[in-house]
Amino acid sequence: MPLVNTRVFFSKRDRAKYISHLDLAGVMQRAIKRAALPVWYTEGYNPRMYTQFMLPLSLGQESLREAVDMRLLEQLPYSEVAERMNDALPGDIRVTEVGVPVFKNTDIAAAEYEITGELDFGQFREFVGREHIPAEKKTKKGVSELDLKQHILFVEVSDKITIRLPAGVDFNINPQLVLDAFSALTGSTAAGSHILRTKILTKNGEEFR
Amino acid sequence: MLYKNLEMMKKLDEFLPEIQKPARYIGGETGSVMKDKSEVDVRFAFCFPDTYEIGMSHLGMKILYALKNNVPNYWCERVFMPLPDMTEQMRRRGIPLYALESLDPVSEFDFVGFTIQYELCYTTILEMLDLAGIPVLAEDRKSLTPIVVGGGPCVCNAEPLCDFFDIFVLGEGEEVNLELMALMERCKKENSTKEEFLKLAAKIEGIYVPSLYNVEYNENGTVKAITHAPDAPETVRKRIIRDFDKVYAPENFVVPFCDIVHNRAVVEVLRGCIRGCRFCQAGFIYRPFREKSKDTIISQTKTLCQNTGYDEVSLSSLSTSDFSDIEGLLSGLCEYTSKNRINLSLPSLRVDRFSEEVFQKINDVRKSGLTFAPEAGTQRLRDVINKNITEQNVLDSVKIAFEGGYTAVKLYFMLGLPTETDDDIRGIYDLAKQVVEQFYANPDRKKGKSPSVSVSLSTFIPKPFTPFEFEPQDSEEEIRRKQKLLMDYASDRKITFSRSKYEVSLLEAVLARGDRRVGKAVYLAWKKGCFLDGWDEFFSFEKWKEAFSECGLEMSFYANRRREYDEIAPWSHMDFLVSKEFLISENKKAHEGKPTPNCREKCSNCGVASKTGGEICRAVG
Ligand code: SF4
Repeated sequence: MPLVNTRVFFSKRDRAKYISHLDLAGVMQRAIKRAALPVWYTEGYNPRMYTQFMLPLSLGQESLREAVDMRLLEQLPYSEVAERMNDALPGDIRVTEVGVPVFKNTDIAAAEYEITGELDFGQFREFVGREHIPAEKKTKKGVSELDLKQHILFVEVSDKITIRLPAGVDFNINPQLVLDAFSALTGSTAAGSHILRTKILTKNGEEFR
Repeated sequence: MLYKNLEMMKKLDEFLPEIQKPARYIGGETGSVMKDKSEVDVRFAFCFPDTYEIGMSHLGMKILYALKNNVPNYWCERVFMPLPDMTEQMRRRGIPLYALESLDPVSEFDFVGFTIQYELCYTTILEMLDLAGIPVLAEDRKSLTPIVVGGGPCVCNAEPLCDFFDIFVLGEGEEVNLELMALMERCKKENSTKEEFLKLAAKIEGIYVPSLYNVEYNENGTVKAITHAPDAPETVRKRIIRDFDKVYAPENFVVPFCDIVHNRAVVEVLRGCIRGCRFCQAGFIYRPFREKSKDTIISQTKTLCQNTGYDEVSLSSLSTSDFSDIEGLLSGLCEYTSKNRINLSLPSLRVDRFSEEVFQKINDVRKSGLTFAPEAGTQRLRDVINKNITEQNVLDSVKIAFEGGYTAVKLYFMLGLPTETDDDIRGIYDLAKQVVEQFYANPDRKKGKSPSVSVSLSTFIPKPFTPFEFEPQDSEEEIRRKQKLLMDYASDRKITFSRSKYEVSLLEAVLARGDRRVGKAVYLAWKKGCFLDGWDEFFSFEKWKEAFSECGLEMSFYANRRREYDEIAPWSHMDFLVSKEFLISENKKAHEGKPTPNCREKCSNCGVASKTGGEICRAVG
């Protein structure tokens, strides 16, 4: 049987932003089952449907660009896969694109976010203009100090914020960390803001496909 | 346009990311029904007085949810009890309890309906009403809507809840729920008052309007008389579905975003029970016994699995192995489930029909722990409670299980059963010990492995509409003495014991057979901060004790007193089809140690068949 490696891109918005990364696999697998797509299961004593998700998204953040890999047991038109999955998925998750995986999971180097909502954008512009932006990042090993300024790959502030940050399996900066630092250093609140992931990028700045 | 309360969504977005498992507070799951509010005439907020994880696992709620939403101009939505981190934020931010589909406040609905599955949820009901901003006392709610309605097994004695509810639905809800919705549709159009609605509702079979009844008491605290208003029937008879094979079954479930207690498809196979275990309320109040046909069950299983995408399906009933063609059913189901990578799980399989074939079938799909419920330690006491299991049955089934590679067995027993002696208690350990020995009797057992037998001890709780409704519950000292006796007698370390909290069982017993006056105590306990009493971390017996003493009621009066056969029970205006004469004769037989054959062997004339016209009860042959 041919195994067709398939990458599905989807958006995760509104109520779906409260699905945790852990629960997302179950939600997606049940949708695949409802869509009756012929997919590959792992072998062994306890076979499981194979799905591989890229780049976890924090609970409460929305995204236009999420990705999951699966393997189809037969070649199906990608438009059909997208259509069948959209019929089966909850309304706040939409498949936007289906294709052959071009890059590897480990090629992911950055992500772009859009931050909107009730936030003092003028103050934020000043904030990102500082020479240093000290912050504390929680990791598995404990808390580490870092200078966020060095990690902001791109930022533009108008009536919204567009910001590009390191992302991937090795090193990841959550945009919430930037907002927390903003609140901590300026005393201005970021509580009413929304974070939307818009792009996943590779080392060369190419769109992850 | 499908409706969603955007303003509420915005308010929730402000703090939900900080709440534990927010997915359970936001709705939007696949299978949840969204409607255009402008085209809806009657709205029903279906409340489960426990957490999302527990309520979402409940089949009855799924049936009635789908059934009502099938009618285009009715909209039924789900509501669960939020945990304290959520309620604290809601109260602080002035967010009332809302329904998960529209996110609209529950107070805006026409019906606020609670399914009442266990006594320990009573204070949670009050807490949910209060969170919704709805007055908890029925008399303080003057307008037509919302009508607060209750259903589920506990309404067979709803008296402790009469102060809070406008109506109760007795028995099976599939038909009567729609009748009630239709009545509301009419009353809203005609601008009826609440009183007018209630009088009309009382004319529907299965609807109990507590405000149309009055209870008087004797000086000794027992009920003297129950009188009814001219608009209400003398007794309210529960509803049943006559053609069970055709009963509405949901084709889809709301499939949650997060994990819940039973995250799987569930198909109902039969209702009622042929067994007649004398302590078991479900065994009496869900009569008559009716089955779906094998083909109906298989086709419903397929539809449900396809629509939900679940990889596990379970069969639901009080006793699935009593299905007449259980082996045929399992073969048919396994054919579909194994082809489609679906696990079939079978709770409530009975030990005495645990044949090798059946075992093979469940073994093919899933290996989980095995549980048996002998309930009592000796044959004498099992005859008293009419638990039709012999020691040999248990040992034979355990033997098959051990040979099949199982090593862990769980045994359920009750302490404090009527006529129980110290020998019966020692019998519990003796039986567990024999189970252990059965393991070593297997010549093919894996070397180096040892069995683990866990014995779970609960306290017997006498319930209405059972032959034991007249019985006292053991006192705390007596239960403690019995537990100690058993611990002192036990010596094998491979047998472990777990026991339920006496205080919880006592409260359950009090509420189960309580009268209207107990409502005051429920109210006070809630005022003192009780809710989610079924949860160890929230249960406070101290508060309950204070509540009872403040309203001058003795818990022991309700729990620990033997009731005469001719005493008027607080629930005697409820008709659950089983006759009181039958319950009395079963009680007498219990004290004589005589079992009653199961309904498939012989009809014992419990009253159900004669009241429903004979054709309905399918237990015999
Ligand atoms: S009518 Fe007869 S067979 Fe039916 S439940 Fe009652 S006792 Fe059993």
